[in-house]
Amino acid sequence: MIAAVRTYRVLVSVALANMMQYRAVMLLWAAWGVVAPMVSLAVWTAAARGRSLAGFDRAELAGYFLVTMVVSHLTTAWDMEVFSYEVQSGRLSPRLLRPMLPVFQSAADNIAYKLCTVAVLFPVWLLIGLIVRPSIHLTLERALLLLPAVCLAAALAFVWGYCVALVAFWTTNIRAINQLYWTGMTFLAGRLAPLALLPPALRTLAGYLPFRWMLSFPVELALGRLPAAEIPAGLVWQASWLVAGICAFRLIWAQGIRSYSAVGA
Amino acid sequence: MGGITVTDLTKIYRVHERDAGLAAALRSLAKRKYREVRAVGGVSFEVGAGEVVGFLGPNGAGKTTTLKMLSGLLHPTSGEARVLGHVPWRREKEYLRQISMVMGNRSQLIWDIPAIDSFLVNQAVYRIPEPQFRQTVKELTELLDLGALLNKQVRSLSLGERMKCELAASLLHRPSVLFLDEPTIGVDVTMQTRIRQFVAEYNRTHGATIILTSHYMADVTALCRRVIVIHHGRILYDGDLNELVERMAPFKLIEIDLEHEPNGLDPGRYGELIRREGQKLVLQVPKAETPAVTARLLAELPVLDLSVEDPPIEEVIDRVFQERAA
Repeated sequence: MIAAVRTYRVLVSVALANMMQYRAVMLLWAAWGVVAPMVSLAVWTAAARGRSLAGFDRAELAGYFLVTMVVSHLTTAWDMEVFSYEVQSGRLSPRLLRPMLPVFQSAADNIAYKLCTVAVLFPVWLLIGLIVRPSIHLTLERALLLLPAVCLAAALAFVWGYCVALVAFWTTNIRAINQLYWTGMTFLAGRLAPLALLPPALRTLAGYLPFRWMLSFPVELALGRLPAAEIPAGLVWQASWLVAGICAFRLIWAQGIRSYSAVGA
Repeated sequence: MGGITVTDLTKIYRVHERDAGLAAALRSLAKRKYREVRAVGGVSFEVGAGEVVGFLGPNGAGKTTTLKMLSGLLHPTSGEARVLGHVPWRREKEYLRQISMVMGNRSQLIWDIPAIDSFLVNQAVYRIPEPQFRQTVKELTELLDLGALLNKQVRSLSLGERMKCELAASLLHRPSVLFLDEPTIGVDVTMQTRIRQFVAEYNRTHGATIILTSHYMADVTALCRRVIVIHHGRILYDGDLNELVERMAPFKLIEIDLEHEPNGLDPGRYGELIRREGQKLVLQVPKAETPAVTARLLAELPVLDLSVEDPPIEEVIDRVFQERAA
């Protein structure tokens, strides 16, 4: 266990060093994470025309998109965008030769990215908060529950995103599958709009898919929009989806690695 | 337990094919045509612990595919292999900790940061104790002259410098089995020699088993007493390199430098004329006749200089391929 923690400490610190070589790109990606929720906020505020929209007044909409901005950044995962390139180019081979699954390296990269960018983005989030004057009802008790909820959401998004990425073992072009995943993240996770604004059928569907638990659930928890009784059940849903994701990963990896052709390497 | 045993190892790739043009592209939308490519077709061999074996063969012969299966990167279509008692493609951690593969065309180093950072990652991943890590880095730095390179960004290293760092990174955990796939590709002659010396030294000091593929015959002749010649996924020869030359090239090359060209010179009287550059002639002569022909050349022609050599190993190997293809 101590050795595993030490390994991870080194992986994260080297990933941090590597990311610092790409300051501009990293800041641009982080900026995109700020811009998208701000545009959504502007659109929905205009659509509300000063009235309440599905129980959200202007300040609550501002709170929703500000918290979405933060949680979305903390839970983002991008392996489905890069893994296929690694498979198709054979760059995965050196990673496969090590006595450690490549997924652990990717997780370290993910953690490093967040550590690096959060330090820069935190004052930006505070500034936006001062400008948009959000309504957020976060009690201490809920703040304590928010921590595991965000961690589970980040783990969920990473694991399921990685499962999608593994499709690259079988197919050359996984862009269409990625698109499907991002559509789910946009509409059914609450990225584009609060799930309360969705038609009832889509809202029901969102409850049965993992997307809500990757973003909307911790956001609803932070905003105080969830009844107290629903919070433990939500955490159990998150944990269950995480276990399912890990099982799916193990199955897909075991099959996919058999199909790996180690091109050009 | 300490070596490599391969039995009937086969790898077949399924490749999508279509003719050129839009019509063929449309047809392939509805119905795909696949072709099976037998990259490795039932090879069997054994490599003893501490042995250095050269894999020879033209591009697409199946050398790299075999190495990829032995290093656990690829699952074979059929057949068996045991390396250090492990089935490689099960990719057990215990196995991966004991092997290494250096690919001349593929980097394991992190491109944008100094090589020493990649070494630290390997130390953590392979769980190399700090004293052993420091000792190994010191040894490798001396042997490969890495001193000035370790703190430079990998992307700013020359190909040869990077290759030395790649080798060092691959050996930090002191693997017992080393797969070298074109380790000297693209590097200059001085660096090639340096890398060869280093690999030989590593084999001597650590008793590591090494399989090497290279297009540079000098790599093979310098490092391997035994070679496995592979072509179209099949083994054509497995044995001593000198024996291969002996068996496949039962002739010698005699090079003579003449003072002047005598009237009515007929080189065909002495052997087969291979090359002629001014007063310089290269003759191919059956091995058994070499002493007699040499004596006749010296007695009958105004010879300034004479040398007798084995044919280049490349030609010998080429001859193996041609004979088997015929």
